[in-house]
Parts: sequence; structure tokens; C-alpha cells
Amino acid sequence: MRTYAIILALGIGAHASAGDAQALADSAAAAYARGEHRAALALYDSLNADRTSAALLFNIGNCHFKLNDVPHAILYYERALLLSPGADDIQANLDLARSRVVDRMNELPAFSLGGGVDRFLAGADNDQWARRSLWAMAVLCALAAAWRMARHGSVRHTLLGACVLAFLVLATSVALAYRRNAELDTRVQAIVMSPRVEVRSEPRRQATTLFILHEGSKVSVLQQEGDWTEVRLTNGGVGWMPPASLVRI
Amino acid sequence: MRSATHTLLLLLALFVSARTVAQEIAFTASVDRTTFAVGENIKLVLTLTNARGALTEPDLGGLVVVQGPFESSAFNFINGRSTSTISRTYLLTATRPGDYTIGAAKAQVGGGLITTEPIRVHVEKGAAAAGGGQAQSQQQQKDRDLFAVISLTRNKCRVGEQLVATYTLYCRYNAIELVGYELPKLTGFWAEEIDMGELQWEPGLQTINGLQYRVAIIKKQLLFPQRPGKLHIDPATFTCIVNRSFFSRGAELKIRSNAVDLEVQDLPVNKPADLCGAVGDLRMEVTTGPTTVKANEALDIKVRFSGRANLKLIDDPKPAFPSDFETYEPKVSDKITVNTGGMSGSREFQYLVIPRHAGEYSLPPITVSYFDPEKGAYQQLSSGELVFTVLPGEGGATATISRPDPTDVQQLDRDIRYIRTGDLGLRPMGSRLFGSWPYVAGMTAPFALLLLFLFWRRRHDAEHADVAAMRRKGADKVARQRLKAAAEALARGERDGFYTALAQALNGYLADRYALAPGEVTARVARERLVPHGDAAGKYAALMEACELARFAPVEDRPRQQVYDEAVELIARIENNARA
Repeated sequence: MRTYAIILALGIGAHASAGDAQALADSAAAAYARGEHRAALALYDSLNADRTSAALLFNIGNCHFKLNDVPHAILYYERALLLSPGADDIQANLDLARSRVVDRMNELPAFSLGGGVDRFLAGADNDQWARRSLWAMAVLCALAAAWRMARHGSVRHTLLGACVLAFLVLATSVALAYRRNAELDTRVQAIVMSPRVEVRSEPRRQATTLFILHEGSKVSVLQQEGDWTEVRLTNGGVGWMPPASLVRI
Repeated sequence: MRSATHTLLLLLALFVSARTVAQEIAFTASVDRTTFAVGENIKLVLTLTNARGALTEPDLGGLVVVQGPFESSAFNFINGRSTSTISRTYLLTATRPGDYTIGAAKAQVGGGLITTEPIRVHVEKGAAAAGGGQAQSQQQQKDRDLFAVISLTRNKCRVGEQLVATYTLYCRYNAIELVGYELPKLTGFWAEEIDMGELQWEPGLQTINGLQYRVAIIKKQLLFPQRPGKLHIDPATFTCIVNRSFFSRGAELKIRSNAVDLEVQDLPVNKPADLCGAVGDLRMEVTTGPTTVKANEALDIKVRFSGRANLKLIDDPKPAFPSDFETYEPKVSDKITVNTGGMSGSREFQYLVIPRHAGEYSLPPITVSYFDPEKGAYQQLSSGELVFTVLPGEGGATATISRPDPTDVQQLDRDIRYIRTGDLGLRPMGSRLFGSWPYVAGMTAPFALLLLFLFWRRRHDAEHADVAAMRRKGADKVARQRLKAAAEALARGERDGFYTALAQALNGYLADRYALAPGEVTARVARERLVPHGDAAGKYAALMEACELARFAPVEDRPRQQVYDEAVELIARIENNARA
């Protein structure tokens, strides 16, 4: 009896907190609509303490942008884009925020099969390919069972072909889900948060300054060496900078 | 005789009285007032009555003689009395406030000495001397008789606040002619000349440091400091010719005025975005023509600023007209007067806008801020919201006829897209489907189900296979039952009996199976019925033929046992197929 009560209480608690979260999100949206961006940001940040979603990160990015904090806006847009690759509005806002960044770099052309293909390969959200792999597995098993049941030769041939197709889809979706998972686990990119930071040729203070980066620029973290981080700029340049002025996406 | 005596007496009386009065000698000193301010004049008059003598100037105790002494004498004969007075007048002034005593004046009359009473006077701090005293005294050292002064209404003000600079010439020469002057370059100011008309000398005299001057205001300027800090005004130079007369060419004098410093404070830092640049006292009035017009008809909006401020610096307040209104540069009309009181009047912006499309339009309030130096704060002026109704014009609701080419939608500005509202799809931090236990479960469950299914299917098939065998067995049994008579005949070796029984059994079986009357079973019907059983029809025909042949001719092409087995197989097959 006691156990049931506890389970019930836990269930209600979880439910209530979900309701609270929605209420918080609603009041934050209302504050944003009134133009009180700072209040909206505080509410969204409190939500982001233990929950996340592309939409939430996108909204936080918007608040930062409206408060003229471009580097944080970029950081949150990048995070949102990581959760929901290829989202149109996130990309649009990120592009606008990037246009306010001081550093304009010639980005190295990344290997890409085109935006649409990239979006397809990444999936609409983190779990899309995992979900697809589950579906593919279910369909494959159903087809196999049907094939086993079938008597007539032509039906059996069709079902066998469908099984092979389903298996290929399954293999592809598992591979892409694995790739996505790996992408999320190894977040190597970071945004420069200091208004101005010097990138040096070696991990020591007296080393030659190679570049000067400004807030909002994106770098890839290569390795850590004591109090220094080796980074690669989007234009391909490599150098060392203190990690304090970086925040990982 | 009587009248002669009378006349004599009268003359005598006159003489006697005249003599007595003539003897009253008096000597007095008097001032017109005992209290005056520095720079003002008082008049000291020494009067000696009914005597002639030498007057000695009194000790003035620090007062300065501005003019004088002027001497005058008078002789009065009134009603037979004669009075003679000698008076000496001094105009005195003081350079410093304080108490002064004018000492006794002495007059030597005959053999005696007459003195006056001392006079005490009090000198107050003068108003005139308090102002540019220092500058004036500097100038005086240069030239006591001719100098110029620049004076400002204030020596401390805000940026943009108006103040008046006055250029004044002080002169003690009788004949003076101003030939030319050069005003200083005003850096950091925006200046507006105040029209003074012709150069005029002020009617009265002004006393400075005990000297009397004729005064002329040469120029007045309205100044608006444009930047904060200490602003400096250089001296002005004046060229004058003095003492020119019929006989003399006079002398040309070039004088420089003083220099002036001004402390200019910046406006407070919290500048509103709609600050228009005006400092002073301002009012705004927005008037519109008819607010309901047809499309393509002009709307007339007037924004009028009035008050006492640097009106000429007020910019177009730029009302936010809807972007599809056709707008033109506003017409600016000024009614501004500049005088010694400052700049005042009004400036009016008249906007002519043409709405191109029908609809209800509301213009956000026009807001303009200015700085009020008296309150020391920014003040905002705001018009109410302006609402216009545009009716469809001639030629349809959207009167784009006047625009020959369709125009692209203009991107006026860029902004981020709006936040996502509603359900944000919140998930606990770090939750991911791939690799989680629901995922593993979701992947394994269908596979496990498939395996279960296959296992069940296999067992079912095995069972199914047994059933088929049994059915075959059953069919075989039925066939053997049917062919029992034939089998007995075969065992007995009866040739005719065997074939007859076999043919009967086959026909009976078909009749039973297909629910036919015994007579209906013909070769044709059997062929039709047995079509679904493959070559069963052929086999049946062959068996029947063999039976016929064997019964009516002594020919046996095959052993009887083989024929019997074929029949059994045929019946079992039909039976089996029919049961399946």
C-alpha cells in the first residue's frame, strides 16, 4: 500500500513538474511578446537547467540576440541547430547573428552533398534515425514473418525483395543514428566569448600572436595542453588560446 | 510839504531795512543726498550769501570730483530786499563703498573766517560697478577715455542654451566717429545677429570709476554654445576717429575689448533617442487636414514647434508614415524673431503624403524631446495617435494605376525570426533514443517476436505434416475399402470378377464423391469432374478402358495387381485432394 502511494506521488510529481515547465514556457513567451527580453531569458534559463529542446535553445538564443549579446545568441543557435539540424528558422537567425560578428572568415569549403542531403542525413532531430531504425526493424520482422507464411511463389518473391529492402533501410538508419550519436558525443566546436582574444603560435604567453579573434567567432577545439587549448579557425588557421574565453557548443 | 515829508520817510525806511538785511552773511555746504551707490554722483553745493570772499575747497575725504567746480553768482532784489549769493557746485562720486566725511569749507570774508559744518555721506555697493568691473578697470588702464566691453548675459550655461553677447563702447570724447569694427570669430558657437538698427548713443551718461561716459551698444548677438567645456571669445576691435572738427582731422584710435570665457555644461547623459536639438522652452502642435481621404489624394499634416528656444536647429521629427505612403520632403516655414530677449517664434513642418491603398492607418505618436534648462531635465512632447481612413480611390480599391511598374516588396529591415511558442517539446537534459534501453528493447522485441513466430510456425508445420500423412492414410483406407471386392477377386484369381468389381468400385466412388446417380457416371462426366485433379481423368479413362478390354476380350496388357494399385492410387489421390 505504501509503495503504491509513493509511486502515485512520484507520478503526480513528475506530471506536475511537466505542467509547471509548460506554464514557465508560456509566461516566458508572454514576457518575450511584451518585449521584456531579460525576464523571458531568466525564465527560459531556469527551464534549461534540467531540460532542453531545440525550440527552447532557439528561444534563449533569440532573447540573447534581443539583449544585444550576439556571442551567446550564436552559441545557443548553434546548440539548437545541433539538436535540430537543418531547421530553417534557426539557420536564418544564426545567419543574422553571424552577420553581426566582427571577424569575417573565409570558411574552408566543407564536404557537403548540398543542404537538403545534409538535412536528410542528419535527420530532423536527434532521434529521427533511431526512430526510423526501430520502424525498419519492425517492418523487416513483419515482412519476414509474412514471407514465411506465404505459399505462392510470386508472393514469396515479392516479400523476399521487400525483406531485403527493409534490411538495407535498417542498416542505413542504424548507421546514421550511430553517426548522429557520435556527433552529439564529440562536440568539438566552440564559440569565442571574450570581446577580443589573441591566438598564439605556442601554448605560452610570450609566443607569437597569430590571429586576434573577437566574440562570436566559431572555432574547433583540437586539444588541451595545460592552460591552453589548441583551436582550428573556420578558415583553417590553427593556434593556441586560453580556454576561459571559449564556450563549447 | 506833507507829501514831501512822507516820501522821505518812506525812502529812509527802505534804506534802513535794506541795510539791516544786507548784513546777514551766511556760508553753507549741502549735498543733494547723503546715501548713494558707487558710480553714482552727488552734488555738493557751497553757498556764500551776502558776502564776497575767497572760498577754500573742503577736504573731500576720499570722494572724487567728477565735474566742477562750477561757480555761479546771483543777485536778487525782492520786495526791496537785495540778496547776493555765490555758489560753487561739485559733482562728486565714490570709487569704493563706505562712509565718507566731507570736511568743513572755509570762506574768507572781510577779516573773518566762516566755516561750514562737515557732511557725512554713506556710499553703498553700486550695481553698475559690480558687473564687468575688472574688465573695465583693465581697459581703463589702457585708455581712460575710450574703451569697449563684451558682456554676456550669463557666464555659465548648457549646450544649446541661448544667451546674448553685447558689445558696448564707452567714450569720454566729445566728438567720436566709429569707423569700423571687427567682431571676434566665435568658435564653438552658433551665432545669430540681433538687428539693432542704426548706431545710437544712449541718452544718459554712465559713470564708471568716477568718470562719466557716453555709451553706445554697437552689436548684440544671440549665441548658442555648440560644445561643452570652456569656450573663449576673443576681443573685438573697434576703430574710431576722435576729436574731428572743422579745424582738426582728429586722431584715429584702435581699441580692443576684453575677452570673455564661458563655462558650458553638457546636457545630461540620458539623452532620449528622439532629442531634436532644441534647448529652451518648446511646445508642439500637430494639426491634420481631413483625416478621411480617398486613395491617391494628399493628406496634409502639420507639426508646429513654438516657444523660446533655438528653433532654427530643430530637425524634421520624421513621423513614421506607413511604408506604402508616398512621402515628400516636408515644407519648413519659420516665423522666428531674434531680439535681445532671445530667439522665439515657431517653426512648422508641413508634410504632404499620398496614401496609395485604401484602409485604416494609424500613425504612431510623433514624439520629440528637448532640454529644459530651467528644470534641468529633458522634456518629451508627444502628439496623440493619428488615425487616417483611406477610402478606395477612383479606379478600384488599390489604386496602383499611377504606378506603371509593379514594385518588389522592399526589405525595410532585418530581424530574427520569432520565438517558438506552445509546446517546446522539452526533454530531460541528455536524453537520447539511440543506445537507450527503450531503443534496445525496441530493436530486440520485433526480432524476438519473429523468432517466436518462426518457432511456432515450425511446430505447426510439423503437426500439419502429420495431418496430411493421416489424411493420405485415410484416403488410402477409403480406396482400399472401396476396392475390397476387387481385392478379393484379385486374391481368388477371378479375372472377370476382378475387372467388374474394379469398374463398379471406381464408378461408385465417383458417384458418391460427386453426388451423382449411378447411371450418370459416364466417361465424359468423369472427365469433366476430374479436371482439377491433374491427369486423374486420363488415368480414370485408362483404367476403365483396361476393365472393358479385360471383360470383353481375353487381353491383359498389364498384370492385375498393377491395375489394382493404380486404382487405389487414383482414388486415394482424389480423396486426398478433395479433403485438403
